[in-house]
Amino acid sequence: MKIVGRHDEAPGVKTMRLEFQNPADHEEFRQKYRTGMFGLYGVYGEGESTFCVASPETRTDYIECTFRQSGRVTSALANADIGDLITFRGPYGNRFPIETFHGKNLLFISGGIALPPTRSVIWSCLDQREKFGKVTIIYGARTVADLVYKHELDEWQERADVDLVLTVDPGGESPDWKNKVGFVPTVLEEAAPSPENCIAVICGPPIMIKFTLISLKKLGFDETNVYTTLENRMKCGVGKCGRCNVGSIYVCKEGPVFTAAEVSRMPAADL
Amino acid sequence: MTRCLFSNKLENCVTLWRSAGYSVIGPVRKDATSSYAAVEHAADFDLGMVLPDRSIKELFFPQTEPMLHYTIKQQAINTEEFTPPAGKRIIFGVRPCDASGLSIDDPLFGWDYKDEYWFQRRNESVIVTIACTKADDFCLCTSLKLAPDSTNGSDILLRPLENNNGWQVEELTERGREAFSAIAELLQEASEPTAPLAVVPEMFNLDTCVAWLQNPENFESKFWKDISMRCIGCGSCTYLCPTCHCFDIQDEGDTYSGIRRKNWDSCSFALFTMHTSGHNPRSTQSARWRQRIMHKFNYFPGKFSVNSCSGCGRCTRQCPVDMGITETLQKISTLHP
Repeated sequence: MKIVGRHDEAPGVKTMRLEFQNPADHEEFRQKYRTGMFGLYGVYGEGESTFCVASPETRTDYIECTFRQSGRVTSALANADIGDLITFRGPYGNRFPIETFHGKNLLFISGGIALPPTRSVIWSCLDQREKFGKVTIIYGARTVADLVYKHELDEWQERADVDLVLTVDPGGESPDWKNKVGFVPTVLEEAAPSPENCIAVICGPPIMIKFTLISLKKLGFDETNVYTTLENRMKCGVGKCGRCNVGSIYVCKEGPVFTAAEVSRMPAADL
Repeated sequence: MTRCLFSNKLENCVTLWRSAGYSVIGPVRKDATSSYAAVEHAADFDLGMVLPDRSIKELFFPQTEPMLHYTIKQQAINTEEFTPPAGKRIIFGVRPCDASGLSIDDPLFGWDYKDEYWFQRRNESVIVTIACTKADDFCLCTSLKLAPDSTNGSDILLRPLENNNGWQVEELTERGREAFSAIAELLQEASEPTAPLAVVPEMFNLDTCVAWLQNPENFESKFWKDISMRCIGCGSCTYLCPTCHCFDIQDEGDTYSGIRRKNWDSCSFALFTMHTSGHNPRSTQSARWRQRIMHKFNYFPGKFSVNSCSGCGRCTRQCPVDMGITETLQKISTLHP
């Protein structure tokens, strides 16, 4: 795929927009892709890395991915220029069943670099806004600089049909920071969204997910109305190589999207 | 009267098979190690060993193998997918535990995405298994509800004759019949008795162990820490195991050309599951050993209806710190479920 756009999101975090080179591959992607699925992005000579497809299912002219430069492959990707070719395998995995969310209120909760998978669902819903009730987004990062998609956060903040709550961890605020300071679960409990007719989508580091699930339970959310996506390490993406296993689950095939009820049946110590 | 193959005809067999287009593979001892390897003559076989050090897995799922070659020239990427070298082959003198190992992994490589490398090699290979007449202290097939003459995964089963001068031939599959029709002239009708099978004592009750493993309360039992205290995470058990199938994908090369490879990997290694963030779902050796045991006797059978262990005992036999599946399951079988 060809890199047609590049954007610095946060220190070490980049978004790439990619276009298919082969029309048949593009058509296959359009047919298969639904929000929540992931792909393996690669640079020959360096290898492949697994990220979600960060663009929504309602916008399939291109693929966007957001990643933190961290190892060999992500460094090669980060150093690639507009016009360079990279590889993509996918889309793999299951999806957020957003058609079952029609008519319901949506609560999105996300932390740090886990906004990209959430953002894919957010735009998939906002692009057909009339089908959903109230939309609330709670997003936190360690510091103000670590917030990703800053331009889209501004857009959501200005929209009358979206409630956006932004927070940074204590100590991560800048002098001109006007939003919340506190950890995501605390901010969630303060905001206290009603569980009535509401679907929650949470994505973040495992520790955030763990405590956010506890907070959602306190607020009265039923585990079957809470969705999350597991970001396990993967290599093959097709249910063979074994590393994404949690209990008997192949996250790459049966996930990455699970309800909190499904996650609670997995061995917690292996998450 | 049953059809028999006598040892003194084995050299002719190898010649006939080779001239019929089969490559011939069997247990071979070379330097300090033994494995299933290609032979030109029957004398190269070492049929006396309990079983080779290395399992049969590597003939179907090599330790490392290219998946594709890439070349990049002026912004154009060309890739050429690797196909395993075609050619039918006879693997002679396979142990029943190794043959069972192949059939255990078939559903894994076949579910959802079908691994062509595995199935091409499976379809081109004739597994000629010899029932065991001797075992060592590490063999545990009977504990896994298998036996020294199990036929799972085999195309032919040979039962050693009492006089140690040949084998009774049991043809199990069409592929086996075809391979043995090439040597039909060498088979003789005879009524020699077969040698007694190896005695492999049952070392634990598998059902008791599985019940304990399936109880979620035992997942965080202190037992796991105690049993894996001396594991050094070397991964030998997984590499030698005929059913362990985890792999890694790595690129070798530069910006202009290179190879994407599939390499064995191991759930014993700390990096196996480590996330980019540094979070590791299985951050301790005890969590990794628990995963290996749970995967073999709880998760894998739950998904594919067969235990991911054929009882070869290599994990214990060659563990540098004398751990292994046997000790773990023996201890589990004494715990309250």
